Amino acid sequence: MKIAISSLENKEFSKVSDRFARCEYFIIYDHDSLSFTAVINTAKDAGSGAGGKAVKILGDLNVDIVLAPELGPKALEALKAFEIKSYQYPREKTVKEVLYLFYEKKLPELLISTSKGRH
Amino acid sequence: MKIAILSGKGGTGKTTLSVNLFSYLEQATLIDTDVEEPNSHLFLKGNLVKEEIVYKKYPLVDDDLCNYCGKCGDFCNFNAIIPAKKKILVFQDLCHDCGGCAMVCPNEAISYIDKEVGVIYHTQIKENKLFLYGNLTVGEVSGVKIIETLKESTKNAELLLIDSPPGTSCSTVAAIDGADYCIICAEPTPFGLSDMRMVVELLRAEKRNFGVVVNKSNLGNDDIYHYLEEEKIELLEKIKFDREFARIMADGELLINYSKYFKEKIANIARKVLGDKDDQ
Repeated sequence: MKIAISSLENKEFSKVSDRFARCEYFIIYDHDSLSFTAVINTAKDAGSGAGGKAVKILGDLNVDIVLAPELGPKALEALKAFEIKSYQYPREKTVKEVLYLFYEKKLPELLISTSKGRH
Repeated sequence: MKIAILSGKGGTGKTTLSVNLFSYLEQATLIDTDVEEPNSHLFLKGNLVKEEIVYKKYPLVDDDLCNYCGKCGDFCNFNAIIPAKKKILVFQDLCHDCGGCAMVCPNEAISYIDKEVGVIYHTQIKENKLFLYGNLTVGEVSGVKIIETLKESTKNAELLLIDSPPGTSCSTVAAIDGADYCIICAEPTPFGLSDMRMVVELLRAEKRNFGVVVNKSNLGNDDIYHYLEEEKIELLEKIKFDREFARIMADGELLINYSKYFKEKIANIARKVLGDKDDQ
């Protein structure tokens, strides 16, 4: 199982991003190998549709779960199409902290979009 | 002859210049191509003669023909088509109707359907004066289709004025396409100059003839004049800012009907751009 977290920098102790699709990095935690990998988010500079593009990047990496601050309608639709579940983290935490919160089942599942789509 | 009025920065006076120049001329057609926020119609009273719906096309994927190769998604620069594992997602509002996804699809799985993106209002102002403006549907990202339709509808106009959108993006490029001359309406502020430089770059890349009207010339600083001199760009006219002008405009009135000073400025611009024959 792979879990992706929107992050400001490329380490597991970096602060989480307060934007999902326009974050700097995705930190991918591999539940099976217990390893962290940082992926530069190339959707960040998309002129439009960053949400869909970010999800495509994660889907192609076979991510199963996304931890995000909020999600726009397009990102949510794309996550459903890629069969990726998403959970909402609180702001100002580190990647590792939100990951612990996820395993403690303290993060609510994101079922409806929490922000309007932005361009 | 087609003349585009553009600015880079918003609020420099494109529409003020456009509607007054249009009203000054004996015979002309004006199109407001700032379809995201059209406002020329606020100053021009006429009869609505036609409402034209504008459509764009967006892709429809045939699931039976698609093999999820992902080429459409790789091609799309706007992320309007996202190939997922068992489904192709299409975000209609992001699509710019370029037709690229169908071209790269090896299985001919993509066809297109029409979607309404806006309306064009055709209005008759006087016998020899036609004015058209477009209005982009809220939520749509690109007004280019409407601008292209505005241009197509007025392609036979003898003298066409094009009130262009601000900025230097796709919609501005579409607005100045085919223009014989462009009038940059600039203001002498740091922001005004910075955005004007981008417009100059665009117009040079597009190989357009152009000149500059400095509006609100008594505000800001002299940098713009030094720039015009250095770049050897023609200064067509300087128009001062006057609180009274703002008041008249806020009432939806035309300045040429109220200010002799302003009317002379417009006359001079018309003379410089069109020559004496079209002068009133």
